[in-house]
Amino acid sequence: MDIRLLHPSDIPHVQTTNITNLPENYFCKYYMYHQLSWPQLSYVAVDVSRPKKTPYDAPKIVGYVLAKMEEDPQDGIPHGHITSLSVMRTHRRLGLAEKLMRQSQKAMYETYGGKYVSLHVRESNVAALRLYKNTLGFKVIGTEAKYYADGEDAYSMRMDLDYLKDEADMSDDEETVGKDEGDAVGSAGKEGDGEKLRKVKVGRQLGVGELVEKNESSAA
Amino acid sequence: MAQPLPSKEQTLFRHLVQNYESKQYKKGIKCADQILRKHPNHGDTQAMKALVLSCQGKEAEAFELCKLALRNAMKSHVCWHVYGLLYRGVRNYEGAIKAYRFALRLEPESPQIARDLALLQMQMRDYAGLVQSRRQAVQSKPGIRSNWTALAVALHLSGDLAGAEDVLKKFEETLKQPPHKGDLEHHEAVLYKISIIAESGDVQRALDEVDAIFKKAVDRTAVMEMRADYLLKLDKKEEAEKAYRALLNRNAERRDYFTGLEKSLGLHKSKKEDQEKLVQLYQEEANKSERRDAARRIPLDFLEGDVFREHADKYLRRMFRKGVPSTFANVKQLYANPSKKQTIIDLVESYTKETPEANGSAEPNGSVNGSEGKAPSSEDIALNWNLSVNYFLAQHYDYHLSRDLEKASQFVEKAIALNPLKNDYTFHMTRARIIKHKGDIPGASKAMNEAREMDPKDRYINTKCAKYQLRNDENETAIATMGMFTRKEAVGGPLGDLLDMQCVWYLIEDGESYLRQNKLALAFKRFQQVYNIFDTWTEDQFDFHSFSFRKGMIRAYVDMIRWEDTLRQHPFYSRAAQSAVKILTMLHDKPELATGGQVNGSGDAAADKKAAAKARKQAEKEEAEKKAAAAKKATAPAKEDEGEKKKEDQDPQGKDLLKQVGEKPLDEAMKYLTPLLELSDKNAASQTAGFEVYIRRNKYLPALKCLHALQAIDADHPAIKDQSARLRSALTPMPEDVPDKAREVLQAEFLSKQ
Repeated sequence: MDIRLLHPSDIPHVQTTNITNLPENYFCKYYMYHQLSWPQLSYVAVDVSRPKKTPYDAPKIVGYVLAKMEEDPQDGIPHGHITSLSVMRTHRRLGLAEKLMRQSQKAMYETYGGKYVSLHVRESNVAALRLYKNTLGFKVIGTEAKYYADGEDAYSMRMDLDYLKDEADMSDDEETVGKDEGDAVGSAGKEGDGEKLRKVKVGRQLGVGELVEKNESSAA
Repeated sequence: MAQPLPSKEQTLFRHLVQNYESKQYKKGIKCADQILRKHPNHGDTQAMKALVLSCQGKEAEAFELCKLALRNAMKSHVCWHVYGLLYRGVRNYEGAIKAYRFALRLEPESPQIARDLALLQMQMRDYAGLVQSRRQAVQSKPGIRSNWTALAVALHLSGDLAGAEDVLKKFEETLKQPPHKGDLEHHEAVLYKISIIAESGDVQRALDEVDAIFKKAVDRTAVMEMRADYLLKLDKKEEAEKAYRALLNRNAERRDYFTGLEKSLGLHKSKKEDQEKLVQLYQEEANKSERRDAARRIPLDFLEGDVFREHADKYLRRMFRKGVPSTFANVKQLYANPSKKQTIIDLVESYTKETPEANGSAEPNGSVNGSEGKAPSSEDIALNWNLSVNYFLAQHYDYHLSRDLEKASQFVEKAIALNPLKNDYTFHMTRARIIKHKGDIPGASKAMNEAREMDPKDRYINTKCAKYQLRNDENETAIATMGMFTRKEAVGGPLGDLLDMQCVWYLIEDGESYLRQNKLALAFKRFQQVYNIFDTWTEDQFDFHSFSFRKGMIRAYVDMIRWEDTLRQHPFYSRAAQSAVKILTMLHDKPELATGGQVNGSGDAAADKKAAAKARKQAEKEEAEKKAAAAKKATAPAKEDEGEKKKEDQDPQGKDLLKQVGEKPLDEAMKYLTPLLELSDKNAASQTAGFEVYIRRNKYLPALKCLHALQAIDADHPAIKDQSARLRSALTPMPEDVPDKAREVLQAEFLSKQ
C-alpha cells in the first residue's frame, strides 16, 4: 500500500471507492472543490501490488480521506473537517484509516494552523464510532439532529491537534512516527506559545520505546 | 448603451441585473417585462431577459429572444455578451468565444467581458488568446496578485516557462514588505515559481530558492519533497539521504520516499551485491514501528531464494497473527515469479500443520509481542491464524496463476466453518467468487446475495452483490439491490441517483449486460450516459479557471488541467467507448437493429415481417403513451423552482436514442473512437475498434494504421489475422475511389507483404 496525496487524476477512483463503501456520495466537482481548495489535506491509500493490465490502468484506491478546512468557523478557531473517510472492507486491519487521517491532520496543522479537526458520524454506525473514538482519539462533543438526508442524527466529533506541536519537524533527523501512534494521542498538548511550528527535538532515542501496538480490530 | 432608457426604466434595468446576479429569476422576468411593455424593442432588456430565461432552463426561448435583441441592438456589447453566455451555457465554446470577441470589440475596456473570454480560452486551451487576455487583466489591474498568477499560468501552459517565472518574480518585487505569515496565496505562488524553475531544468537554482524559503514554508510536505527531489537530481547524495529519511519519518508508507532513499544511497534492487545493505536498510525502517507495512513488504519484491523464504515467512506469519484479510492481495504480485509462488504456497501449507501458539518463537526478535499494548489473547491469535491461513489458501487456489478450484472451495468452507462472526461476510464473498470462476454465474450471484444478507447495512457487500447480479444479467434485481443505498428523494429512482453520483462502474456493467442480452437500445443508452459523465467532468473544470486564482492554490490547478487534458484516457472511458463502437458497427451492418429488430433474425422472412409489424405497433403504442404523459405533465402545475430543475428522462429505454444514432452510426462511432485513438492508442482494444470503424467507412489507410499499431502492441493478437484478411479482400480489386497516393502506400506497406 502506498499512502500519498490525492491527485486530481485519482478523483474518479476515489469517487468509486466512496460509492462502493458509503451511503453519502458526491459528484466529481465536489471532490475537485476539496482538492483544489486544500490540496494538502486529502490522502489516498493505493494498492500498488496489482499486476498491470494496460498502460492506462488507473490506481486502485483502497482507502481515502477527503478533508477540508472549515471556511467560516463559527467559533472563530481555524479547524479542519473530515468530509469523508473510508477503507475497502478487503483492506481492513492494515491501519490505513489511521495512517490516512494522521497525514491529513498534520497538514491541517502545519499549513492552515488548524487547532482541531471535526467530523460527523451516523449514530447507528457503531464500527465507525469505535474507530474514531478508540483508534483515532476523537471525542463526541454533541449530536446534530437529522444531519443525514434520511433523517438520521449524527454525532459531532472532534479531536485536538496540539499533539502535533511536539512533532513539528523542521530539522532533518527527528523521529516523529512513533509519537502519533502512542497512547498520548490527543493529550500531548503543551502550553501554547503562539508559535505554529516549534522546533522540538524528538530524537531517535525516544523512538522505539514509544511504539504501541494498537488494537485495530475495530478499524473499518 | 445603444438605446437609452428613461430614468424610471433605467432603474428597473439595474434591478433586472441585480435580480439576475442574485438568482431571483422570477423577479428579473417581471422587471424585464415591465420595461418591455413600454419599450418592446429594447435590445439590452431583451438580452437580459434571455439570460434569465436560460437560467430557468428555457434555453431555446432564450436563444430566440437574444437573436431578436441582437437585431434590435446590433452594436450593444450587452447583447453580444449575453449571446456568448448563452452559447457557453450549452457548452458551445467556440460560438461563445466569437460572441465575446464581438462584445469586446464594442467595449474594449470591459473587464468582465475580458475575464469571461479568458475563461473560455482556458477551457478551449487557446493559450495564445489566453495569454493576451490575462496580460490585459494585469495591465488594467496590476495591484491584484491573482491577475499576475493567472498570466503566469497561461504562459506556463503555453510552454513559455521563462516568461511565467518572470511574471511571478516581477510581482514579488512589487511587494513593499514581506507578506504575512498566513498569506497562503504568497506561499503557494512561491512554490509554484520554484516548480517552474525546476521544470525548466535549472535544478540548482530551484534548490537555492527552496532553501531560502524552507524554514518558513507552511506546506511542509511539498517543500520537503521538492528539496529531496532536487538534491537527488543534483547528485548531492548525502543531503538527499537525510531529506528522504526525514520524509519517511513523516510518512513511512510512501513508496517514492523509499525509492528516493535507495537512490541517494546508490543502492539498486537488481544488484545482488546491494541486497544485504538493502535488507538492512528496510529492517531499520521496519524496526521503527510495528505498524509500518511498506518497509516489511518491499524487500519481498527484490529478494530471491533462501533470503526470500526467510522474509516471506516472517511477513506472512506477522500478517496471519494479526488476521489481516488483504494478505493475499498484498503478495499475489509476487506470483509472476514461479519460484516465489512455490515458496509462498509451501510456507502457507506448512502453517496448516502448526499449532498457532508455537509460532511466537519463530520470531526471534518477538516483534509482535514486543509492544506494551495489551497483547491479544492466545485464543484470538489461534483463531486469527487458522482463519487467515485457510482464507489465504482459498484465495491462492482461486487465483488464475495457481488455480485449483476444488481445493479453493475446500479451504473457503473451512474458513467459513471457523468464522465466529455472523455478520463477517468476507469468506462467503470469496466463496461466491470461486463459484464464479467455476463458471456457475447464477450460483455465484446467489452466493453473493447470501453474503450480502449477512450484513444488509454494509454497502460494500451490497455493491459486490449488485455487480454479480449484473454479471448474471439480473438487471432489475441489481438496481433494486443498489436502491437499498441510493437517496430515496432522487429523481428517476435508484438509477437516477447513480447517474447523479456518476457511478460509472454500474453504468458500464449494466450496459455490458444488456449488450450480452442483445438489448442494444438499453446498452447504448448506458454507454452514452458514461460518455455524458465524461463531458460533465470536462465541464467541471470551468469554474476553477476563476476559483483557483481566488483561492491561490496554483500547483493543484495546473495538475488538474493536465489531468483534464487526458481525461478520456481513463479505463472507464475506454470500456464504455469500446462497447459503444461495437454497437454502432452492428447498427451499420444491420440497420434494422436500430428500430427494434433482434440481433439474431429467425431466418424466417414471414415471421420476421410479423415480428417487425408487432414491434412497430408496440412502438406506436409507446409513443402515444409517452405523448399522453408529456401532455399531462405540461398541464399539471409545474413546481416553480428558482434553482435548477432536473428533468425526467423521456427515453428511459433508449429506443429513440438508438433510432437516432442508427441514422448515421459511423459518424457517431467516430465521436467515441477519436479519444480512444488519441489518448489510449497503446491499448489493443482501441486499435481493433479503430479498424472496425475505418474499414466500414472505406478509409483504408487509417484502417491499415490501426492494424499496424495493433501488431506493434501485440504481434500475436487474435484479431490480426481476421482484420488483415478483411482489409486484403476489401482492396482486391483496388476500389476505384482510392486516391493514387493511398494506393501506393497500401501496396507498399500491406498488399506487397506476406
